[in-house]
Parts: sequence; C-alpha cells; structure tokens
Amino acid sequence: MKVGIPKGLLYYKYKPFFNTFFEELGAEIIESPDTNKDILDLGSTLCTDEACLPIKVFHGHVEKIKDKCDLILIPRIMQIYKREFICPKFCGIPEMIENNIEDLPIITKAPIYLFSSDKFFKWAYETGKILTKNFFKIQKAFERAQNEQKKFKEGINDKGYALKVALIGHTYNIYDTFINMNVKNKLNKLGVGVITHEVVDDNVKYLEIKKLFKRPFWTFAREYYGFISYALKESLIDGIVYLSSFACGIDSVIVELIKLDFENVPFLLLKIDEHTGEAGFDTRIEAFVDMLSRRKRGNLA
Amino acid sequence: MKITFPHMGNVYIAAKFLMDGLGIDYVIPPLNSKRALEIGTLYSPEEICLPFKIMMGNYIESIEKGADTVILTGSCGPCRFGEYAELQMKILKKLGKNLDFIVFDLPSDIGFDELKRRIDKIALKSPKNKKEKVLALLDAYKIINLIDSLEAKAKYKAGYEKEKGECKRLLNECKKEVLKTNNPKEAISILKEYHRRIDNLKIDKSKNPIKVAIIGEIYTIIEPFSNLYIEDKLMDMGVSTKRTLSPSWWVYNTVLLSPLKLTARKIRKSAKEYLPIGIGGHGQECVGEAILSYKEGFDGAIQIFPLGCMPEIVSKSILPSISKDKDFPILSLVVDEMTGEAGYQTRIEAFIDLLERRRRYVLSRS
Ligand code: SF4
Ligand code: SF4
Repeated sequence: MKVGIPKGLLYYKYKPFFNTFFEELGAEIIESPDTNKDILDLGSTLCTDEACLPIKVFHGHVEKIKDKCDLILIPRIMQIYKREFICPKFCGIPEMIENNIEDLPIITKAPIYLFSSDKFFKWAYETGKILTKNFFKIQKAFERAQNEQKKFKEGINDKGYALKVALIGHTYNIYDTFINMNVKNKLNKLGVGVITHEVVDDNVKYLEIKKLFKRPFWTFAREYYGFISYALKESLIDGIVYLSSFACGIDSVIVELIKLDFENVPFLLLKIDEHTGEAGFDTRIEAFVDMLSRRKRGNLA
Repeated sequence: MKITFPHMGNVYIAAKFLMDGLGIDYVIPPLNSKRALEIGTLYSPEEICLPFKIMMGNYIESIEKGADTVILTGSCGPCRFGEYAELQMKILKKLGKNLDFIVFDLPSDIGFDELKRRIDKIALKSPKNKKEKVLALLDAYKIINLIDSLEAKAKYKAGYEKEKGECKRLLNECKKEVLKTNNPKEAISILKEYHRRIDNLKIDKSKNPIKVAIIGEIYTIIEPFSNLYIEDKLMDMGVSTKRTLSPSWWVYNTVLLSPLKLTARKIRKSAKEYLPIGIGGHGQECVGEAILSYKEGFDGAIQIFPLGCMPEIVSKSILPSISKDKDFPILSLVVDEMTGEAGYQTRIEAFIDLLERRRRYVLSRS
C-alpha cells in the first residue's frame, strides 16, 4: 500500500514517528515535495479563504500527492499534553480536507492524543488496521516508531555568533524554509545566531509560566512563553524574532502576552502570508539586527 | 466594590437582577455601540477576535462609570476565550486601570476550592443571608430563561404577525420596562406579562414565512451589536428566525450539564456524520444546528462568526458539503470591526430572495 505523507503542519515534529510506523507496516511512503509556489497556490485555491497560511499550505500538499497514494496521513492531533490543547483547526483538519478537496483516497481520521501511550496506540490501531490485520505487527510498528521519535533531536541552538535571538513560532513556520524564506539563514548571514524553544526542557517551561494568572491551556503558549521567560533570565538571547502567519488565532494571543510581559526586550514580529514579499522581509530583519548590534555596543561601552 | 461585566445579548438583564438580589453595587456597561467598539479596538491586539475588542470597550466604558471589578466566565475549551482574561487584565493594567477580575472557570479546571474562593469574593460583599443569596441566584436564572424564551418567541412569530412590527415592538418595550425596576420578583412578573402578550398576539396562520436558523460562533450570534442586528433585520423582512444558542442555553449546557458530559447531546449527535469530534468553541454545535434546522424544515441557515475565528473556519469548510448533500442553502457571514452596513444588508437580502425564489420554484413544479 502506498501511504502519502503531506509535508505540512506538525510533519516537521513527528516525521520520525509517522515514517517509521508506516514503513514498519510495509507501506511505501510517498512524501509530498518540500513546499513550493505550486503547492502554496493550490492550497490557497482549495482552502477556505479565512484560513491561516499553514492550513492552506497543508491543503496544497495533500492535493499534490492525492493521486499517487492509497492512503493519506491527515494527523488529527487533539492534544500533546494533558489538560492542554493545540488549535481547533488541527482537531478539524480531516473534515476540512475532506470537504475542500475532491477525489481523495482514504484518509486517516482517528484522533491523536499524544499524552498517553495507550491513547496514542488507539490511533495506531485504528490506522494500522487499514494496512494489516495483524495486531502484533501494529504493536511492534508503534513501538519502533515511538523509539525513533524519541531519538529525534529537535531544536536549533547556533553557537559562535555575537548576537543571538530566540526564534519563536509554530514548528511548521520555523522549519518550512519556503514559507519563512529561510529566515534562519538570513539571520545567520547577518551574524545572528538562533535558538528555539525545544532546546529548553519542558519542566523548566512549566516553572516559568507559574507567574501567569492562569495556566495557559495552549501547549504553544506555554512552550513559547516559558522558553522566553527562561532565556531572558539566563541571558541567553538579545532579542526575539516571532514568526507568525496571518490569521493565526493562537499567535494573536501569544504575541500580545509576550509583548506585554517582556516589554523592554527587542521584538520583531514577522508575519507571513501568500503575499509576503521577500524584499520587505529582508529590510525589516536587517533593521532589527542593526538595532540589536547598537544596543549591544551601547551596553558594552 | 462596584461590579461590571461584559455584554453578551440579554446577560446584562439577568446580571442586573442578580446584583440587585444580592444587594451589591454594579455598573451595567452602556449598551454596545460604535464607541465601545472603537475604544475596544484601540486597546486590543489587532488580530484578536471581535468579541475581545467589544468586551474591552465595555470595561473601559464601565470604568468611566466607576466600576472596579469585572466578573467574567472563563471557558476552558481549546479556544481564545479562555485566554481573554489574562490579556485583558494585563492591557488594562498597562493603561493604569487597576480592575479586579473575578473569573469563573469550571471547577474541573481550577478546582472547587479556587472556585469557591472566587465566588466568596463576591458573595461576602453581599449583606444578604445565605437563603436570600440562593434565591437571588435562582431568580436570575429564571430571568435569563424568561427573557431568552420571550425573545425566541418574538423572533419566530415575527413571520406570522398580522400587524407588521408588533413582535419587535413588544420585545423592545419589554426590555425597557423590565429595567425600570430593581426588584427581581417584579422583573419576573413583568417578563411573564410580556410572555402573555406575545402569546396572545394576533397571528396569521396562513402565512408561510421564510424560516431561517442562525448558527455560528456563540458571541457573535448572541450579541446583536456584533452581528449588525441581523435578527432585527430579518424580523423587519417578515422572516421567522430560530437560534438555539443563547445565554440560557449556555448556562444550562456549560454550567449544569458539562460536568456530566451531557452538553448539547442532540446537537452533537446530529453533527456526527460531518464532524464527529468537538473541536473547541462551538464549531460542532454549528454543524449540528445546520443539520437540525434542515431536518426541522427550515428554508436555510445563516452562519455568523468573527474574522479569524478558528473553530468556525473549520465548520465553514464543512457547511458547503451539507448544503450540497441536503440541498439546503447556507450563508456564511464574517464580521469584524470593519464590516460595512450596506454590503452586509445586501448579502442578507439576496439570500432571503434566493430562499423565496426556491419556494416559488418548488411550488410551481408541484
Ligand atoms: S496554530 Fe495558528 S497557524 Fe497553526 S493551524 Fe492554528 S491558526 Fe493556523
Ligand atoms: S470561538 Fe472564535 S470568537 Fe470565540 S474565542 Fe475562539 S476564535 Fe475567538
């Protein structure tokens, strides 16, 4: 059986798991190509206007491979941690895909709860059933896949740069270099190193968010806020670059929270959508880096 | 302590009498207006959803009238509403306005002790004894049910009335009358009186008005200002409307039923085929309502949601399929602070036109 894996949304985070799982079940994996102009355009045409760019791009990836496979992975990730949520759109992504794209092969629809192995296995079983009748094979594939995922080192932590910024944003915005016009490279070229939140341990982040009135129920909010709070305390960073897409409801809240609570920290918000021009993007990054260097020199003098 | 609360449909009526019953000082924010929206927008993050902005306007207008404490219901689903309080508090603080926020979250999220502590913050300010406090709460619950059901009746009957505009007139008159008293018991009898009047209203049973269900994001369908008074517009056009989501629906389903996991069972069951899983906000309800209104013989449905509303974007993707499968017209309207009256009105009129034409077409064929 040919299993299609669209390179969008949390693919960047859970790729080792999903690829291993399906391979172990004897599937041939068809990954969609890296995001490109064509995929972006397809996605924008197919998807509801009001949706955010990452959701549109995901539509594009599915469209691109739908004719080449028998089953497409549409991960309906409901929760990563207990008592925390991700985004309503993740919870409804199979329905969005189903209603916006015609002539689909089978798609995976079972919900994914990552906080408990048992619950997660339910997904594996529901999905594995489509490929094999052998329960033990599914179990083995699931275990292997989990092990692969554990080995996966996430995060960026550049060393040896004079300046360093926290690069914040959803995984699919940070690691999709087409969508973000390779922002990490741009920063590096200007002599700025990048650190991302995965580098800091979760427990540390939990401690940092204690100062909020309410425990955020979004995993993303806890991770980014907790990371920044810690990185500033430990003087790991000179500023924050937040990569966000237009119409992201989650970011609209986190960005504000960070701005309000870390008022004096240099902050650059880069918003991306299908019309973002590279020239303007570059200018803003350069201006920001200029400001950072001036600040740093000022502090040293 | 002077309490205030954001507007959401008829909530202010019940809240007023709750405070009256408890003997606690309060400020009702001025009814939603352009001014509230403008002030609110000025102090809100640009991309936050519309309800946040209007609520900010409410707080600031209430502060101008002396309020120092906000009560708010938190919601703990995967949506922005649950994060509102944190942000709003911080923004107001930056503006130098030190409001105390008392947020009622579900005990499953903050624990019973914390909830009790928060309730006590208000309850202890009340000079009334325990029994009176409970009665005040019960009265407020009665009031919200009475006003919501009155409104529902008026909006449904509007399509059948003999004298045009009667339903709307009665409803508005009632809201004015009831606010004149400070006595919850009196309010209840006024509301009951208006129920009688609406029940006795002369109707023309032979009329077969266009019937439309209003579905979508809860705030924007309940708070008339945010949807540019769509239900009033439809009443004026002689259209009967039904909207299941209301403050009393919310109280019943969220506060009373959700600990038992029984929330909105019928609606959710209807949504199953198209959206089997709750996605946060009221996205699943929206889909379920669309199906139910089709089954109940409505002519069409109108979905309303604020720009950028995450769960409703999911439902918006699904509605066209329902519309196609069931041959049931559904119009989606997105509202934000820039929504213009003219274009909005035109879209609604065109939709109602379509529904009328469909009827004629069916009739002429049968
Ligand atoms: S988190 Fe934001 S960017 Fe990601 S899917 Fe949700 S709304 Fe879109
Ligand atoms: S349901 Fe929509 S309007 Fe309500 S908080 Fe969520 S995004 Fe905002």
